[in-house]
Amino acid sequence: MHLRGLRKSFRSSSGPVVAVDGVDLSIGYGEIVAFLGPNGAGKTTTLDMVLGLVEPDAGTATVMGMRPRAAVQAGRVSALLQTGGLLRDLSVAETVRYIAATFPRPRPVEEVLARAGLTELARRKVSKCSGGEQQRLRFALALLPDPDLLVLDEPTAGMDVRARREFWDTMRAEARAGRSVVFATHYLQEAEDFAERIVMISGGRIVADGPTAQIRERNSGRLLSVDLPRHGAEDLLSDLRALDLISEVSTSGNRVLMRAADTDAAALALLRDVGVSGLEIASADLESAFVALTGNAPAEAPAGTGARTRPDHGPAAASTNGTGPARSAHPSEENR
Amino acid sequence: MNATILRLELLRQFREFMGLFFIVILPAFFYLIFGASMDFSDAPAGNGNVAMSIMIAMAAYGAVVATTSIGGQAAVERMQGWGRQLGLTPLRDSTYVATKALVAVIIAAMPIALIYTLGGLTGAQGDTRAWVLSALIVIPGAALFALWGLVWGLAIRSESAIAVASGSTVVLAFLGNMFMPLSGTLLTIAKFTPLYGYAALARYPLTEGWLATMDGSDLAREPLWVPLVNVAAWTVLLALIATLLVRRGRARQ
Ligand SMILES: Nc1ncnc2c1ncn2[C@@H]1O[C@H](COP(=O)(O)OP(=O)(O)O)[C@@H](O)[C@H]1O
Ligand SMILES: [Mg+2]
Repeated sequence: MHLRGLRKSFRSSSGPVVAVDGVDLSIGYGEIVAFLGPNGAGKTTTLDMVLGLVEPDAGTATVMGMRPRAAVQAGRVSALLQTGGLLRDLSVAETVRYIAATFPRPRPVEEVLARAGLTELARRKVSKCSGGEQQRLRFALALLPDPDLLVLDEPTAGMDVRARREFWDTMRAEARAGRSVVFATHYLQEAEDFAERIVMISGGRIVADGPTAQIRERNSGRLLSVDLPRHGAEDLLSDLRALDLISEVSTSGNRVLMRAADTDAAALALLRDVGVSGLEIASADLESAFVALTGNAPAEAPAGTGARTRPDHGPAAASTNGTGPARSAHPSEENR
Repeated sequence: MNATILRLELLRQFREFMGLFFIVILPAFFYLIFGASMDFSDAPAGNGNVAMSIMIAMAAYGAVVATTSIGGQAAVERMQGWGRQLGLTPLRDSTYVATKALVAVIIAAMPIALIYTLGGLTGAQGDTRAWVLSALIVIPGAALFALWGLVWGLAIRSESAIAVASGSTVVLAFLGNMFMPLSGTLLTIAKFTPLYGYAALARYPLTEGWLATMDGSDLAREPLWVPLVNVAAWTVLLALIATLLVRRGRARQ
């Protein structure tokens, strides 16, 4: 899958919204890639262009060397959509049969139902299925063409913790069968646990891209962030860069982000010698890297994640716990 | 055309009992009450009798309710995301539309079959030509009203669109001169409403253009171009609106 200079904006009541703002990305055979970003980052819109459901304003997308629509028609790529509707009055098995009938050589319906753990529910009406069960049905539909590339847009939305685990177990098996998998998520844990490579997206742009282990490693230690005054910010910044205690300084607006092994010493130096304000310290696991890289996106972080450390949450709200909040319990779902 | 999809789409219609009630049972009931059992039912109308005229109108009405609701359903389904699901398959838009149209025609044929059978049993009379031709006009004519449902579904985007679309057919059928013979100003206005041309064309093989009045006597003769222009104008208008709305609705909602 190759994306070149992909761009898409939508008209809205408050003027145009740039959903995808120049995305370049290549994903090879057999890769498992997480598309990680907060709500509104542009994940769905990007994937829609990969699937030929939305025409880009600029740039190109090719899948298996074909135009997206051709790849879909050839059954080379399929997807579990975040906002794909189902027919409520059909049963689970009927839905699978309906979609299977559109493909020239689909995988057998029974096999796909079993794979998605739906054999028991085959006769149940879609309207009587829970959110998680409907999600598994969408997954079953995605398996039908036996695709080379499987695109999953927030696949575990609406699933409880157990269903989530079972889902990813199934996915691992599917990936072992040699498929590439690209999945969008705003759950870090999911990206960390399942993906070999993480592409972080925020505000319609890719802000980080690399092997999961590397991204995690690069983000070891702790993150500090501070506010710069309006005047003399440039001088302060060069003072900061000169400080041995910190590394990887990045700015966004008035906020400066940096990394430090010895946060206590760094904090002391920053407050006493440099004279910054609004110091915040966060654990630098993948989560804080995520927040650091995407926290200034116009969109909100995933709903209900008040426990998550956000550098821009106001001055002096220093979080000094090294482990960060529990990340396994996924909070309320984003559901459109 | 795809046999599995056709079968499943038909199954969905047959499961919807209330829908079938309004499409098949109610118009048949209307025919028996307001047509067959009335004193004026064997009064002459064109080359047959009034019962036949009411029979054609009620069959046409049932067929229109069928196609309107199927058109509305199709639009709402697509808007609510099934269109995106189908967008991930090789199924062509044209195949999808053809399948839905065939389903609409099959369902629309049900009230026609039942009401024409009842008509034959209860003394509806007309030329053989009128029997055959009227039925042949009702079916494709009703297909036009799939567009009526489609437009409402695309515009409103929720289940209530189907209610609006099929509910409106009652009013339109009245204005279409289908429930009782209109006259005067109301008749003049009626000639511009969407069901008028369709109903008049369906009855043309029987009435040969003679307009009925409440007392059953023939009054004026309407030239064929009046219903033809009505149908043509509404077809073009509805097709245009539907096309515009479809363009608007391709994006994710
Ligand atoms: N059809 C649309 N019309 C208007 N704005 C849209 C539309 N689709 C998406 N957007 C906007 O584009 C941005 C990116 O959305 P999306 O791709 O859904 O992000 P994500 O999937 O990462 O949550 C958001 O600000 C969203 O509101
Ligand atoms: Mg999304």
